[in-house]
Amino acid sequence: MSAVELRSLPEHVDSARPPKPSLFRTLRFRLMLSVALVHAVLMGTFVWSEVGKQSQAIRADLYSRAHSLITLMAVASTNALLAEDLGSLAEVTQRVKRQPDVMEGAIIDVRGDVLASTDARQVGHRLRLPDAALARQGHGRLRLEEQIRVAGQRVGTVLLEMSTRHLQSELAATRDEGLLFILLALVVGSVAAWVLSLFITRNLHILMEAARRIGSGDLGVRVALPARDEVGLLGGAFNAMAESLQRISAQVQNEHEKRTDAERLACVGELSASIAHEIRNPLSAVINSVKLLDRSNLPAGDRAQAIAILNTESLRLQRILNDFLDFARIRESRLQEGDICGLVEEVAGLIRQHPQAAAVKVEVECDAHHSRARHDPDQLRQVVWNLMLNAIQAIPDRGELRVRVERAAGTVRVSITDNGSGIPDHLLDKIMRPFVTGRKQGTGLGLSIAQRILMQHGTVLSIVSHVNVGTEVSFDLEAT
Amino acid sequence: MLCCGLAASLLLFTCATAAARGPRYYRFGVLPLQSPTMLAGMFLPLTDALQHALHRPVEFVTAPNFASFMRRVRRHEYDIIYLNPLLYTRAHRWGYHVIVKVAGEPFTGILVVRRGSPIHALVPGRLPAGLRIGFPDPNAYAATIMTRQFMQARGIHVNRDMKVKYFGSQDSALMAVYYGMVDIAGTWPPSLRSMPRNVRHSLRVIAQTPPQPQMPIAVRDSMPAPEVRRIRRLLTHLTATADGREVLHHLGFSRGFVAARNSEYRGVKP
Repeated sequence: MSAVELRSLPEHVDSARPPKPSLFRTLRFRLMLSVALVHAVLMGTFVWSEVGKQSQAIRADLYSRAHSLITLMAVASTNALLAEDLGSLAEVTQRVKRQPDVMEGAIIDVRGDVLASTDARQVGHRLRLPDAALARQGHGRLRLEEQIRVAGQRVGTVLLEMSTRHLQSELAATRDEGLLFILLALVVGSVAAWVLSLFITRNLHILMEAARRIGSGDLGVRVALPARDEVGLLGGAFNAMAESLQRISAQVQNEHEKRTDAERLACVGELSASIAHEIRNPLSAVINSVKLLDRSNLPAGDRAQAIAILNTESLRLQRILNDFLDFARIRESRLQEGDICGLVEEVAGLIRQHPQAAAVKVEVECDAHHSRARHDPDQLRQVVWNLMLNAIQAIPDRGELRVRVERAAGTVRVSITDNGSGIPDHLLDKIMRPFVTGRKQGTGLGLSIAQRILMQHGTVLSIVSHVNVGTEVSFDLEAT
Repeated sequence: MLCCGLAASLLLFTCATAAARGPRYYRFGVLPLQSPTMLAGMFLPLTDALQHALHRPVEFVTAPNFASFMRRVRRHEYDIIYLNPLLYTRAHRWGYHVIVKVAGEPFTGILVVRRGSPIHALVPGRLPAGLRIGFPDPNAYAATIMTRQFMQARGIHVNRDMKVKYFGSQDSALMAVYYGMVDIAGTWPPSLRSMPRNVRHSLRVIAQTPPQPQMPIAVRDSMPAPEVRRIRRLLTHLTATADGREVLHHLGFSRGFVAARNSEYRGVKP
């Protein structure tokens, strides 16, 4: 199997302007995010620690006040409790009630009877109390119990309940304040980080813009970075690189022009030789035939044969010249959206009427709903004609020509397959060159013309050929 | 008024729910001779010993003053009482009877001055003018009534010759003379002995009254006889055991208690 694929690079590669990254992928944003997060985490840890300490201090203050109050209550009520001086005990509880956060206070004798309470309804009732002094918290209140002991014996108990609502509101206020500080730290940190990132990445943006201009071909651009840090060094290296690029580019340009001139001259020479080679044989035949006709004693049969040769070779010369003119005068393509199927069907209809296609079965497979592509109809018609003509000429006797138009990955593929003689391996690599042909009657310009037209459409021919099996020629067009 | 209302409600509740409260407390009422805390320190070991002997809780209580104490005695709020001989004569009328009395030491009242005081004896006409004298309570038998009778017998008219102040308890009266708030204080020997050493050594006894029957411990007449016997036995045998002597040490009655009869107090009169 022999195959060749020729593809050109897209003509309009926009290397001058690289795609702009999204905000979240920029170095500036990441730098800002990093600094802001670190700032927020550090400040958050610090503030939260301080909030914790303050909360602990507030709690400790309430507990301290509660313990002081209940101890004072126990001391103040000892004598009155022993003397069952209910008036004095009531005065103690009433005074306790006036203290901040106090919800309830009670003085209980050794039997468990309430002798005095901030809630008068409890006086005279019996309460069951644990033996040890306790401090319990729950449901917005702190409950403390303190035993009154004289000479090592419990003679009564003082009960005190304090509201933790004020404590809770203070804790909530402290927590809210802490959260506010963290939020403020986040905002301040973000702004500071943004300014810092602006300062740091400003020079990088200058470098990026300069690189973009170099990418677009402006090799004379230079950067002036006053910074003496790594970015400043990078700027110096960038300028040196641009200087070197400009010098090398000038050298390359110079070399390119020289090589182009040489190639052009070589091409002209090769083309001239090819033209000379192509027209030399028919021209020799014409000259010889004219010389023969000049003989007076030329038999009538020979004369007729000479005239026939003269006609044939002069027509061949004319065809050579026409094909060459077609090759030399290919105009710029005028691309437009259109239906490829219809165009292929039209050309196939003409091919079926060609004398060489009498014994060839021409089939077209086409999805008319998915065959719209950008193309120049006149030029593409010539391409398809040339390729189909090549195919039927490659079929020596009876054969089959199949044309397929199909949609694939944003393109419309046109492939022309024949079961003809195929292209020999030694011709496959140069079959696109002008005047290269495997047929005696061919000019060797059909594929060259088709290739040039398709290159103007942004595509190239792909050829897969097997000798004595057949050939498939295909190309892709931009689907619309 | 508030105090009376609260006390009444407490009493009513105590009576109403007594049966539902498990083992009934015996309430040991002690005449407020001294501060409640000091009395508690003295009597709590005794009530503890009584609890063990009676197999029921015994609560130590006192009162804000003599009058309150006696009102509660009259209402039978106490099961056992410790009081002075004079008040006992009233309690007896209200349903209590004596079972023991303090042993050994005679029951006397004393008059006390500061150690540096110029008063050394109670001689009518030689006492400085404007003397201030302090007593615990008008009903304190030894400290007030007996000392007043003593001075009256010697021709000293307390109400006329002196300025009288009452301080509620023996301790308060003694502290008043210690701090110079009064020049003389009427009290009795156990209270003087229970004072802190520095206070005790800063005071001097200038007179002691003739003895009277000792301080009694009485019980309600309705108390079951077996329990009365157990109480009497415990009290009269405190000197026989180390624990008992420890109890007596706290009380300041080194010789303990001896059995007493009501007839011993018939001669006690105000």
